Amino acid sequence: MKSFVTIIKLDYLQRTRSYSFLITLCASLAIAYTFVPEPNANYSTIRIADYVGVYNSAWFGYVTAIMTSIFLSLIGFYLINGNIKTDIDNRVGHIIAATRIRNLSYLLSKVLSNFMLLLSIVGVVFVMSIILFFLYNAGYSFEIIHFIKPYIFITLPAIFFIAVIAVVFEVLFEKYTTLQNILFFFLFSFLVLFSSKNENQFLFDVFGNKVVIQQMEEQVKNITKSDETKSLSIGYVLGNVKKANTFEFNGVDFSTSFIISRFIWIGLGLGFIILLTPFFNRFNKENNNTKKATIAQKPQGVKEIMLSVIPKVTENYRILPLLKTEFFLLFRKGKKWLWIINIIGMLLLAVLPLKIAYQMALPIIWFLQVHRISDITTRELTHNIHYFTCTSYRPMTRLLISKLCSAILLVLLLASPLLIRLSVSLDFLSILTIVLGATFIVMMATWFGLLTRGKKLFEVLFFMLTYTNINGIAFVDYFGGYEHQKFYVVQLALLVIVVTCSCFILKKYQLEK
Amino acid sequence: MKLEIQNVSKKYQRNTYGLKDFSITIEKGILGLLGPNGAGKSTLLKMIATVNKPTQGIISLNKNNIAKDANYMRKQLGFLPQDFGVYPNLNAYEFLEYMAAMKGIGGSNLKSRIHQLLNGLNLIDAAKKPIGTYSGGMKQRIGIAQVLLNDPKIIIFDEPTVGLDPEERVRFRSLISDLANDCIVILSSHIVSDIDTIADQVAVMKNGTLITNGNQDYIINTVSSKVYETTIKKDDLVSFKLKNLVVSTSRKNENLQVRYITESPTSNSVQQIATLEDAYLYLTKNN
Repeated sequence: MKSFVTIIKLDYLQRTRSYSFLITLCASLAIAYTFVPEPNANYSTIRIADYVGVYNSAWFGYVTAIMTSIFLSLIGFYLINGNIKTDIDNRVGHIIAATRIRNLSYLLSKVLSNFMLLLSIVGVVFVMSIILFFLYNAGYSFEIIHFIKPYIFITLPAIFFIAVIAVVFEVLFEKYTTLQNILFFFLFSFLVLFSSKNENQFLFDVFGNKVVIQQMEEQVKNITKSDETKSLSIGYVLGNVKKANTFEFNGVDFSTSFIISRFIWIGLGLGFIILLTPFFNRFNKENNNTKKATIAQKPQGVKEIMLSVIPKVTENYRILPLLKTEFFLLFRKGKKWLWIINIIGMLLLAVLPLKIAYQMALPIIWFLQVHRISDITTRELTHNIHYFTCTSYRPMTRLLISKLCSAILLVLLLASPLLIRLSVSLDFLSILTIVLGATFIVMMATWFGLLTRGKKLFEVLFFMLTYTNINGIAFVDYFGGYEHQKFYVVQLALLVIVVTCSCFILKKYQLEK
Repeated sequence: MKLEIQNVSKKYQRNTYGLKDFSITIEKGILGLLGPNGAGKSTLLKMIATVNKPTQGIISLNKNNIAKDANYMRKQLGFLPQDFGVYPNLNAYEFLEYMAAMKGIGGSNLKSRIHQLLNGLNLIDAAKKPIGTYSGGMKQRIGIAQVLLNDPKIIIFDEPTVGLDPEERVRFRSLISDLANDCIVILSSHIVSDIDTIADQVAVMKNGTLITNGNQDYIINTVSSKVYETTIKKDDLVSFKLKNLVVSTSRKNENLQVRYITESPTSNSVQQIATLEDAYLYLTKNN
């Protein structure tokens, strides 16, 4: 047992002792700050029709717990998945496979390490919710129980389940990371959209928030003396908040069956892991993959390199050969079947109604390239090429530019059917915004890659950006899919310039260091 | 061609040095860098290769300070790092073309040069297969091929024989000798046999400092009258090691034949001809 705890502890420490985790925690802190809007803010997070709760302990505790449960379940998966793959990448997989650790213990340790990681973020949000309560103090008394209870019964089982799902997906779909990401997206959407009609069905709500939301709705119905279902919004809704009425929410007395159901979710997660144990190949997959098997060299006669007779090469500082290879690297990354999806996506961009193609299909098809562009600057570190790149001739002006240009070209190539349609309709402004959008995404990937020396944070951000865009939140539109005010293009262009400049400054700084 | 390293230090953290006050001048030929793990060999080589900059001191090539003008060095550099990787989805031709583009070389002869390098390094049969499928030794040879792409004038090999089989090691040494005719080759290793047959000049390092530097005879002279061989009982080995610097041991019936370095040999010892390995062990243990 002691060694099991040690494994979890060290796995957790290994993952958290990184610059990117620190940035993730800071980002969590910033996001948590927005969970309960400042009294004069022009947005809301949880709102039932025209009502929001008064700023008492229960409102702060429950709202932040619900928001954490949903948002951390969504982005948390992308933060924690790939934990087993890390053991392969760090070349410790085969060492682990040769130890006495049982498959079940190993998988459980990965689940618990995932859970601990998410728990750290929950801890940050929890502290922030208490700080916010005192910051926006509306004269209500501080009751710690209204903070602890929802986090324990709503948030913790939800994130535990996500920690399990990440391991389950990784064992079942091992090398198919893109497939894991897509499947989780659909699973999450299904779980969120699953609509509970009565108390019994609340037991099937993995995020555990529907019981609280129903109580809030009931209270609002009592105030308005209406039996109609009140329109509920969870998430960031901009505008008209000042008109909202308030009601006093005093928390929820969770029923015993609900509390048991939360433990059942945890038990279910553990059950999944037990069932999954026989499917875990203990890092033996590489040996079964004939395609990737090491080439056996035929014995050959001794040859010598006659340096004096080898043709001489000439200096050639053109960027085109670099651009070509960088493009190949991007193009060949990932599984070949992903290109079938890309081609289907491009066909959809050509045939779907223009608005849907622009607002929905384009961000999705771009997001599907996340694995190609997220490691644009970390690829050389991942593949241990960085000594070659930093001793290359003019790494900034030749190599970095070719990397960026090839990625932008790829992203624009995928958008080409839409670009053609827009040029036919002489909508050059939209073409410009799409080019800016492509540049923005590539630059963001570069910026986050340089800053964190990893790809996770960009992947999570890109996912959030895509999710919010296809949900019609125009505020985060980076490719001009929605209608905007006059200076939108100028603002977007300025943003792209700022991000691009900071990428070059950051890279220069890192090369000099 | 003259590479001057003057009082170079690399400080990592407060009072932690990877290299301290290191000075050496290298002209045409092969410099073998010998030192145990952590001696600072890779730190030095990375600074010469412009991967890192010195905290103090100057590294200059033909009087050009490479910290200020890294591209002057990079134009003439061939560098094989100790631990390097490849892009697994590219084949050998594509990878070397990419390396050539990074080095800023090209022209109509490039493809032919790559072909001949791959042929000479026994990689031609697998050249069109993804490098991700190559064995460790094949990847190491790809690394050697990329060094030779640009006809470099400064060649740096950091532990180059890792992963090579004995026959490949021999061929590699012959290749290095060939290379050294008109350029500077710096070769680091903690395996003395990689260096003793080919290096014109040897530098022995330990804990980030240069212990000694000179031609092989000069280095070997430090132990020339101190190497002996004797036979001892197996049980006496531990106590023998406490009193003497043991270079090697080999079984001889029920006893052990021990090669050791000392200034006061035991009675039944026979003096031996000193080698570079003896000198290396003596210098790294006694300094």
